[in-house]
Amino acid sequence: MTGRGDVWVKHDSDQERVVQPRPYWNRKRVTTLIWFVALAILTAIVIYPLIWLLFATFKPSSEFGQNQGLIPDQPTIDNYIKVMDGIAGVPMWRFFANSAIIAIAATVGTVLSSAMAAYAFARIRFKGVGIFFTAMIGTLLLPFHVVIIPQYIMFNKLDMIDTYWPLLLPKFLATEAFFVFLMVQFMRGIPREMDEAARVDGAGHVRTFGSIMLPLIQPALVTSAIFSFIWTWNDFLAPLMYITSPEKYPLPIALRLYNDQTSTSDYGATVAASFLALVPILLFFLVFQRFLVAGVATQGLKG
Amino acid sequence: MVNVHKRRRFMAVVALTAASGIALSACSSGSDADPSASGSSGGGEAASGEDVTLDFAFWGNDVRADMYTQSIDLFMEEYPNITVNSTFLDYPAFWEKRQTEAAGGGLPDVMQFDYSYLRQYSENGLLLDLAPYLGNEIATDGLSEQILGIGVVGDQTTGIATSTNAWGMYTNPQLLESAGVEEFGGGSWDDYKSWVAEVTEASGGEVFGGTDYTGRIQNFEVQLRAEGKNLFNEDGTPGFDEARLAEFWESGADMRGEDGSGISQQKLEEIYPVSGFGSALTASELTWDNFGAGYLGELGESYTELGLVAPPVTVEGAKDLYLKPSMLHSVSASTEHPAEAAMLVDFLVNSPEVGAIFGTNRGLPASTTMQEGMTFEGLDAQIRDYEESVADRLGDAPPVPLVGYGTLEEKFRVLGTELGFGTVTVEDAVSQFFSEMDVVLNS
Repeated sequence: MTGRGDVWVKHDSDQERVVQPRPYWNRKRVTTLIWFVALAILTAIVIYPLIWLLFATFKPSSEFGQNQGLIPDQPTIDNYIKVMDGIAGVPMWRFFANSAIIAIAATVGTVLSSAMAAYAFARIRFKGVGIFFTAMIGTLLLPFHVVIIPQYIMFNKLDMIDTYWPLLLPKFLATEAFFVFLMVQFMRGIPREMDEAARVDGAGHVRTFGSIMLPLIQPALVTSAIFSFIWTWNDFLAPLMYITSPEKYPLPIALRLYNDQTSTSDYGATVAASFLALVPILLFFLVFQRFLVAGVATQGLKG
Repeated sequence: MVNVHKRRRFMAVVALTAASGIALSACSSGSDADPSASGSSGGGEAASGEDVTLDFAFWGNDVRADMYTQSIDLFMEEYPNITVNSTFLDYPAFWEKRQTEAAGGGLPDVMQFDYSYLRQYSENGLLLDLAPYLGNEIATDGLSEQILGIGVVGDQTTGIATSTNAWGMYTNPQLLESAGVEEFGGGSWDDYKSWVAEVTEASGGEVFGGTDYTGRIQNFEVQLRAEGKNLFNEDGTPGFDEARLAEFWESGADMRGEDGSGISQQKLEEIYPVSGFGSALTASELTWDNFGAGYLGELGESYTELGLVAPPVTVEGAKDLYLKPSMLHSVSASTEHPAEAAMLVDFLVNSPEVGAIFGTNRGLPASTTMQEGMTFEGLDAQIRDYEESVADRLGDAPPVPLVGYGTLEEKFRVLGTELGFGTVTVEDAVSQFFSEMDVVLNS
């Protein structure tokens, strides 16, 4: 805190010195400059761990105890070579592929099923809609840990352990109340006149949903897809519970296999694998982040 | 037995209600198996020779996974009718998953097991009594009575110790040499403290002689055992009172803090997860003797050897040390193929070929049959020699850790770090530990 305070003071005095001779530096520009510098410093602080991670991937494993600094003493790419070799006969790309399969399938399922459920809640007046809606919101209050064991028993009896079904099936059944709620709110902001016009033209619910609703709630769909993808990609607990074969592990579990408190831990390989695992999600976010903001912002205005 | 069946039926009901309309299969595989083969009292059924599949789970890193893969391949070559599917995770995740499976009725047939969970799982009837298989599927020639006794909870043998380790003290000869101090030559805890102070002083504060040893519950246990007590008795009562614990924590006071003779807690936090000893910042560390390989790995190539000496003596001639299983192998009570599962346990615990693959990765093998397949060199030989050298200090193992021991061990460690930071007084720490014990032991 004090550090940041010092910086402010320093730049205030800079401003005095610079402003006098050049009218080019009007008050507005100087304010912008100060903001820019302050934000740059904050960004640097926040991003430092990530930068450290990147540099650490080039440290040999034995250097982790002795050199906590940023720059490796003896840079090496051995960590990446080791990571590419895979774990216990399973190549690294396999974990990436598993993660991608799960994340993509889960995203498709979530978006599709949540949109349909949301349409029903927002536009169809069926018996008990209020109770069902409350129950759906209620599931948001349930911590995941409460349902782990009952869910495990269910899937165990269904003989689905060590398959991706326990991870994907719920996604296709609109169990993610958060997304359903997000879309319901979005749909409520869309004028009913649109549906009614469609109905006059003879469209049923399926047609109204497909041709009218889906295109209109696109921002909400994109937002849900992005969140769903990132959450599934990073999910650790569910795959841990349901996947037993190492060749089916997704990345978050594979990342921990280089560490073992009871014998040796390969920190070099851990950071290298972590960094590689970060790259796809980082790219994904960079590409889609503007949709993300658009989706949430529009929803806020209309909802 | 009855409990297991009751629980099963309950689960079936739960699953039915939740997933009505979908046909249930009885169990994960082979629903036609003889139901009497499951449960702890069935025991002793011979292997059928039919094709069976076993699930096997262990914790460890990529290195250990490779070793298990090789060993399992050997096993499947020897018994072509048995297929073993193995799965592995890191230690915390391994137990998280086991806890869920235990509650949900899906434990793997064979598991690498930890001492601290043995009582909990055994008392809940989740582990198969292996006694009927001893001397049959599981050869006992290489396993001493003392070793077999480790895995006995109540009157059932629910685990076979794979390997053992003993409490010891690692030293860093290279650091000692540059400080110009002799290796710790044995003596009392006070002698150890002055030796630590000497190293710290001689190196000008760059290197510390050691870490405040009162942060580890094992050092407390060693002292209590020397006085003829246990840390915890079989009935779950503690073998010490407030005054004894306060005395123990007080004794470490001059090793703690910024100007203590040992490394400060602040410094240790900075280098976490690497240990002070692994960062070449301390010259000695009291720990389990199988930690050596890990330390060498952390220290890196510039350090090639470690010293391994006996911990300080509390009472001369006392049997204060013991062999602790660094891990055991257990079989799930709900396995459908108990005989084959026992054969796998036997192979992983006794086979000389497996011993040759693992070396001391899992600790010093408990089975002498397995040891025959091994060549001891370097650190492995050092650990074996060390355990032989302290043979007259080795007593019987204490009672199998009580349920919740892990929680107490962790609480002790946390209080140790807080004492190191100076954020808690010894008096407060003692009362906190006793109230935690109250919660854990009386629940």
